[in-house]
Amino acid sequence: MTKYIVNRLLGIIPTLLIIITLSFFIVRVAPGGPFATERNLPEVVKRNIEAKYHMDEPMIQQYGRYMFDILRGDLGPSFKYKDYDVNYYIANSLPKSIVLGSWAMLIALVFGISAGIIAAVKQNTWIDYASMGIAVIGISVPLFVIAPVLQLIFAMKLQWLPTSGWYTTGEGYKTIILPAVSLSFAYFANIARLTRSSMLDTLRSDYIRTAKAKGMKNSTIIFKHAMKGAMLPVISYLGPAFAGIITGSIVVEQIFRVPGLGKFFVQSSFNRDYTLIVGVVIVYSLILVFMNFLVDIVYAQLDPRITYK
Amino acid sequence: MSLKPNAKTVLEVKDLKTYFKTDAGIVKAVDGVSFTVHEGETLGIVGESGSGKSVTNLSVMRLISSPPGKIVGGEVLFEGQDILKLSETEMRSIRGDKISMIFQDPMTSLNPFLRISTQMVETIRLHNKDVSKKEALARSIEMLKLVGIPSPEKRIQSYPHQFSGGMRQRVMIAQALSCNAQVLVADEPTTALDVTIQAQILELIDKLSSQMGTAVILVTHDLGVVAGMCDVVCVMYAGRIVEKAITDDLYARPSHPYTEGLIKSVPRMDTANKNNRLFSIEGQPPNVIDLPPCCPFHPRCHKSMEVCRHAYPPIKDLGNGHEVACWLYAEEATRAKALQDAEQQEKV
Amino acid sequence: MFSKKKIEAPLNEFDQVIVGNSLGKDAWKRLKKNKMAVIGMVVVIVYSLLAAFAMFLPIYPYDQIILDHQHLRPTFNKTAGDLMMETKLEDLYFKAWRSGSLVVTEEQSTQIKTWIADNKTNTVWNFCYAEGERQRAAGTFTFSAADQKTIDRLQSRIETEFLISVEKLFWTDPVTGKTKNLEKMDYEDILPVYASITGLEPKDVEAQTLTEIRSQVLNTIKETSPDLTDEEYASSLEMELTAMGEKGIHTIGKSNLIGKIQTTVTRTSERTLKQEIKDGSAEFPINKTVNLSDNLTAEIQASKKHDRHYYLGTDYSGRDMLSRIIYGGQVSIAIGLVGTLTSVLIGIVLGALAGYMGGKVDFFLMRLVDIMYGLPYMLLVIICMAIFGRNIMNLFIALALVSWLTVARMVRGQVMSLKNSEYVEAARSMGASTGRIIFRHMVPNSLSVIIVYSTLRVPAFIMQESFLSFLGLGVQAPYASWGSLVGDAVNGMTLYPWKLIFPALAMTIFLFAMNFFGDGLRDAFDPQSKNQL
Ligand SMILES: Nc1ncnc2c1ncn2[C@@H]1O[C@H](COP(=O)(O)OP(=O)(O)OP(=O)(O)O)[C@@H](O)[C@H]1O
Ligand SMILES: [Mg+2]
Repeated sequence: MTKYIVNRLLGIIPTLLIIITLSFFIVRVAPGGPFATERNLPEVVKRNIEAKYHMDEPMIQQYGRYMFDILRGDLGPSFKYKDYDVNYYIANSLPKSIVLGSWAMLIALVFGISAGIIAAVKQNTWIDYASMGIAVIGISVPLFVIAPVLQLIFAMKLQWLPTSGWYTTGEGYKTIILPAVSLSFAYFANIARLTRSSMLDTLRSDYIRTAKAKGMKNSTIIFKHAMKGAMLPVISYLGPAFAGIITGSIVVEQIFRVPGLGKFFVQSSFNRDYTLIVGVVIVYSLILVFMNFLVDIVYAQLDPRITYK
Repeated sequence: MSLKPNAKTVLEVKDLKTYFKTDAGIVKAVDGVSFTVHEGETLGIVGESGSGKSVTNLSVMRLISSPPGKIVGGEVLFEGQDILKLSETEMRSIRGDKISMIFQDPMTSLNPFLRISTQMVETIRLHNKDVSKKEALARSIEMLKLVGIPSPEKRIQSYPHQFSGGMRQRVMIAQALSCNAQVLVADEPTTALDVTIQAQILELIDKLSSQMGTAVILVTHDLGVVAGMCDVVCVMYAGRIVEKAITDDLYARPSHPYTEGLIKSVPRMDTANKNNRLFSIEGQPPNVIDLPPCCPFHPRCHKSMEVCRHAYPPIKDLGNGHEVACWLYAEEATRAKALQDAEQQEKV
Repeated sequence: MFSKKKIEAPLNEFDQVIVGNSLGKDAWKRLKKNKMAVIGMVVVIVYSLLAAFAMFLPIYPYDQIILDHQHLRPTFNKTAGDLMMETKLEDLYFKAWRSGSLVVTEEQSTQIKTWIADNKTNTVWNFCYAEGERQRAAGTFTFSAADQKTIDRLQSRIETEFLISVEKLFWTDPVTGKTKNLEKMDYEDILPVYASITGLEPKDVEAQTLTEIRSQVLNTIKETSPDLTDEEYASSLEMELTAMGEKGIHTIGKSNLIGKIQTTVTRTSERTLKQEIKDGSAEFPINKTVNLSDNLTAEIQASKKHDRHYYLGTDYSGRDMLSRIIYGGQVSIAIGLVGTLTSVLIGIVLGALAGYMGGKVDFFLMRLVDIMYGLPYMLLVIICMAIFGRNIMNLFIALALVSWLTVARMVRGQVMSLKNSEYVEAARSMGASTGRIIFRHMVPNSLSVIIVYSTLRVPAFIMQESFLSFLGLGVQAPYASWGSLVGDAVNGMTLYPWKLIFPALAMTIFLFAMNFFGDGLRDAFDPQSKNQL
């Protein structure tokens, strides 16, 4: 197992290298970026950037320095705002995004898996049709339609929940409900469909027939014998789901005015604040790579057939 | 028809019909199968691939997946009670406890995500709540030893994928035998095994049957096994039993041309002329979708008559419980009448 | 001796007719059984036809800005003029209630105040309008003189204002006497035409047009990449012009010149039309031919500006939502289809290459695919858009570049398994070349899988495009896509919900249809995989 983990960790390295290299060059080739010859920047920012990037050094040296900085967790100064580092912005906004994304993932997992199992067990009943109907909606209706519509209904018309914002005190938890639910919807839908189909496949398999021939109760069959096998496709879907939630959070944060990382990302890409863009992408990629790693470990834990080599 | 005339009837299958609904049409996988198994008796079912042997057995256990399959008619009487009419809960107390089954496909019939120990222990404890986990484990290890798994104490903690196909088959057998059921349904239990193990396992089953009075339904392709193990043999073709007899009777007097062909196609050491080519039945077994009324064997039969092409033959008792479904044994009048009826039918 | 035998259907041993079954036929049969898939297919076809023939539909131009028609609500029977008047009256009644000249009961007054406190603007206006109209009809309320004047002025504007569109321009050559449609003429031939109506020398016209083109191109460069130095701009401009070549320049020049001539036509005919309206002799819509000079005639169409019907309302610059949704659909569907096609082609080529070549090529391509799978690729697309400029082409390229991964993997797998099959061996032994083997034998073999996957990719592609457009990083005004329409609508969706609802609905229906169709297709081609995602 340890060997497997080490191996997987080594596998991450090329991905990280590519991300960092890409971002290094993006900042350098971007028109109007920090390395374009003539630019209208406040004097302070200009000095910050020059000091930071050591533009007088040869490329290789700059690259090494850049790599080292990132490994240390230093993402450099903002390209548009004079007094702040990219780190400052990320430290401020990332926690909010993580809270939002975690809730969305949790909702999607819990409801998706339960709905999928119920639908599979009660195949071709109204429960099955209803949950799969909702799932089809979740898959077909884009996030940026679901979010405003939910906002319109639950916040503006019914006034049950706050329209937007992000508070952590008092009834602040209410501000997270709408964004998290909208963000989770598509993933709930996919997980529900995936769970249902893999559960049905598993229930049709020979080893479930063996369990039935032993005279087992249905509930035992499902939870003891079928669950593990049926969860494997869902687990492998989690990687793409994390990526989707990260991307989706950009829209959700925009619509519900959550001051998270996603909102910064859009802002900075309009401002051409390249250092911030690149910083955000590196952080997102790190999260994603780490999540994929976790998913792989969980998968290997679940499936005894995976050999740790 | 039984060898032991006063033995108790344990399982009686009457006119069982199991159909599958597919895109191409309705597959009549089992179409009117009847047989009886007595205590301590072994019933053999032989027949070509696709003749409906496994579906018959699964129907007895009510394990046909639905959709697409459905048991559309007949009765399965276990100790006089029609188990097709039982509720799912009642059926559960019969499965594994009263009737246990060895499945045909050892590679996929064990749960790949659970240890062998878990699967075996749960089998034993499912219908015997008072057995402790430890006892059940000890018993499992014993069973594994019985079926010839080396160092079972260690191997029992493995996962199925760490076993070879033959070992998995033996685990399946050990598992099925561990519940001491009254009826053991064994669907080609030894196909995946080499000859020595095969003999051991069959001996084990035989011992079980004679000592505990377990009734055994044994599906096999191997007519040698049938001759050695079975008291009664059913020959299946295209979803129906075409001949049924006491084993010795069947070998002495194969009456259906298909049975004849089957027996002839077994290589024998004692045939005088070694240069003779092995006999084989020409052609393929029919696809059992939308068969017209006829004897399904007629295209391959060297004794086929006009009537064979138009009506299914009636079952004829040749004495001593030797039943055969073939027009050869019907009276001339019956044949003529059947032909006439068929013509009538075609006109309409 | 050889009598011709009648060809009979093949029979099996039970005298039953053997029906041959091909994969395509079978799949089609299964697809037809799936009702939702068929409905989906029909909807997709209808949408595609609408998008493809949007040009020929009797709808208003999607980019025509009419500021008078800002934010008109959807209606089936009222004209834009009616709605403008209604809006004005709502406003005036509300003001009248404020100033106290519109008298309401005490309860109603409190009610209005709570509405205002709750930000329910629409309710307030509706109420004031209804109440005001009732009182005015009953004679208990009259507008102040100033208000009445405003109303009258608006009324006369609604009745008299019109829009002119130039349909066709004809030029009769003074020498040969032949009449030609200006659209079909060359740039060089149009130059003297324009010169003749302006009284300039063709040479001067050419010089002037060239200057205009240069500044036009420069502007687009400045738009796509701001923050460059003047020198850089100058050199980019020269590069761009060289890249366009004479042909490109002439195309722009021609459309510029025609545009100018159209403006001249509009100006001249406006004057006469206004006169006719004053005389009361105008009957809208007007189709007529105007003679600009002896040789230049124009077919124009004039319609009353405020007689328009906006069935789905208008947006913030008075553009018709219906045509914006249709043209937005055109953009979205086109990006979805062409983008999927492109990415699938890239995937096929790279996948086939990796699968067939094996070895190092395979290793590097598959590592690349693995790594790209691990990246948040939508973010990379956003970065590309931020760096290389936000336009449809960049969007399209960026999306296609990150979407080929799965197809490549699929094709690679198929090719690998087919590579060692006998018939490929046979083809090779007959001397077929590698490329030929791949494209003649292997790719067609995996085609059904690819088709099914592609249909399921289209909605995903459309969603991604719309996602970016929603954020403002994709399609830019005046072009529209479903995503940008929804994006524009989100602010102010309580006031103008139709701007959100209709594009969202149009898009959702299409995505539903596409998903059902794709699912059906997959089940039809591969009945085993029923119930799979
Ligand atoms: N789930 C199913 N759907 C459709 N048809 C089925 C299904 N299961 C079995 N059949 C059909 O029923 C017929 C009998 O199958 P069965 O498995 O009983 O054959 P068998 O006699 O056990 O063959 P073998 O010796 O190969 O095990 C076959 O024609 C098969 O195609
Ligand atoms: Mg079988």
